[in-house]
Amino acid sequence: MVDPRTATRIGYRALYVGLVALVLFYRLLPLSALPAPWPLPGFILVQMPQWLMPDQWPGADMLLCLTVVWVVRRPDFIPAFIVVPIFLMDDLLAMRPPGLWAAIVLMGTEFLRARETATRDLPFLGEWMMASVVIAAMTLAYRFFLAVFMIPQVSLSATLLCMVATIAAYPFLAYALQVAFGLRRAATGEVDALGHRL
Amino acid sequence: MARDRNADLDYRGPVRRVLIAVLLLCLTAIFLVWRIDSPRVERFRAAFIDRVVPSFDWALAPVTQVAGMIDSFQSYTRIYQQNQELRRELQQMKAWKEAAVQLEQQNAKLLAQNQVQLDPKLTSVSGVVLADSGSPFRRSVLLNVGARDGIVDGWATMDGLGLVGRISGVGQSTARVLLLTDSSSRIPVTIQPSGQKAMLVGDNSAAPPLEFIEAPKQVRPGDPIISSGDGGVFPAGILVGHVAQSTDNRLRAVLAADYERLDFLRVLRSHPSERINEAGALIPPATPPRPDTTPQLAYPASASDG
Repeated sequence: MVDPRTATRIGYRALYVGLVALVLFYRLLPLSALPAPWPLPGFILVQMPQWLMPDQWPGADMLLCLTVVWVVRRPDFIPAFIVVPIFLMDDLLAMRPPGLWAAIVLMGTEFLRARETATRDLPFLGEWMMASVVIAAMTLAYRFFLAVFMIPQVSLSATLLCMVATIAAYPFLAYALQVAFGLRRAATGEVDALGHRL
Repeated sequence: MARDRNADLDYRGPVRRVLIAVLLLCLTAIFLVWRIDSPRVERFRAAFIDRVVPSFDWALAPVTQVAGMIDSFQSYTRIYQQNQELRRELQQMKAWKEAAVQLEQQNAKLLAQNQVQLDPKLTSVSGVVLADSGSPFRRSVLLNVGARDGIVDGWATMDGLGLVGRISGVGQSTARVLLLTDSSSRIPVTIQPSGQKAMLVGDNSAAPPLEFIEAPKQVRPGDPIISSGDGGVFPAGILVGHVAQSTDNRLRAVLAADYERLDFLRVLRSHPSERINEAGALIPPATPPRPDTTPQLAYPASASDG
C-alpha cells in the first residue's frame, strides 16, 4: 500500500505534468500561422497606438504561469527535477536557445520555493505581487542574457505584453486550480489528515 | 528549501542545494554549447522534434480537424453572402481563364519562334503540416516530410497560392518551415511592374514590411511581389503577395499564401543553377603551348625550370 500522503503528492505531480502536456499540445496545434488577434472589440482596437501592435497579441505564457502558481501554492508538489526537464523540452520545441530560459525558471522557482513558508500569512494580493515581481525579473533577466550573448530577440513591447498577460492570468489560473483541483496555499501550522506538518 | 518536513532527514537541505547548483550548471553548459556550436545543437533539436512531435500526431490531427470544422461551422452563418461572392468571383475567373489560355498559346508560339531555353521545371514534394511553432514569438510550421524524402535546408515552400517560407531544420521524417512572417526571415523579392528589388523582412506581424527599395516612389500599393532569386537560395518568379501601404506609411507585403489554413505545403526542389561569378575574362586554350627554347625568354637567369 502507498501511504495517502505520498499518493496525494504523486497525484498532484502527475496533474501538473498532465496540465503542462495539455498546454504544450495546444501550442503545437497548427490552427493558424497568423499572430493571434487582440481579444478586444474593434472600436478599442482602432484607438490603440501603433507601438502596441493592434494586429498582434502574444498572449500569456501559460506554462510559466502554471508553474509559478504551483510553486507559490504548493512547492512540495513540484520538485525541481520535474520543472527543469519540462522547460528544457519547451526550449527545444519553441525554438528558443536551449537551457537559458530553463535555468532562469529554475532560479525563479527556487527563489519562490525558499520563501513559501515565510509568506504563508500574506493575503492573496501579496502573493500575486510576489509572483508578479518574480515573473517580471525572470523576463528581464532572459532579455538581458540574450542581449549579452548577442542573440537576436523579439521586440521589447511584445515581450512586455506577454509578461503583463502572464501576470494578469495568474489570479484566474490560481482560482481555477483551487476550485477544480483543490490546489490552495497551506495555512500556517496546518497539518494534513495524518498530523504531519505541511 | 527553508525547512525540512522530516526531522530525521536533515541532510536533505544541503544535498538538495548542491543538486540545484549542479542542475543550474548543466543548463548553463547546454546554453553555452549552443552558443558556441549552434549547428550541432540545432541538429539535435531537429532530431528531438523529429522523435517527439510525430508521436503526438494521432491526437493533433483530429483536434485540428475539429477546430477546422468549428471554424467552418461559424462561417455557415454568412453562407449566403459567401455564395454570392463566390459566384461573382467565378464569373471573373472564367474571363481570366479565357485570357490565360489565349496568352499561354501565344506565349508558346512566340517561344517556339525564338527558340528560347527555359529554366528547368521545378519539381516539388508535398507535405502535410503536423504542428505549429509552439511559441508566440516564432512563426514556423512542421511538415511531415524530411531528409528521408530528400528535403534539403533552404528549399522554398509554397501552398497552392504563393510562397510560404523556406525549410530551416530537417529531421529524418520532419522538416521545419520558417514562415515569411518570422522575425528572422529575409527574402529577396522583385516588385513586378517597376522591377524594383527589395527585401521582405519578417517582423512577426501578418504583413511583413518591404525594405531596401531603391525607388519607393515607383512602387504602388497593389503591385504584385515575386521572389527574385537573388543570392541563389530561392527559385525566381514565385508569387509572394502584393504591396500594401500601412498607416505608418511603410510598404508592406500582403501575402498571397493562405496563412489561416496551412494544410498541405509543396516543397520546391531547387537545383542550383550555374553561377556566373566573374565579369568576363580572356578564354585561353586548354593547354598553353610550351615555349620550345628557354633562352628566348626575357629572364634567362630564372629559367632554370624550363
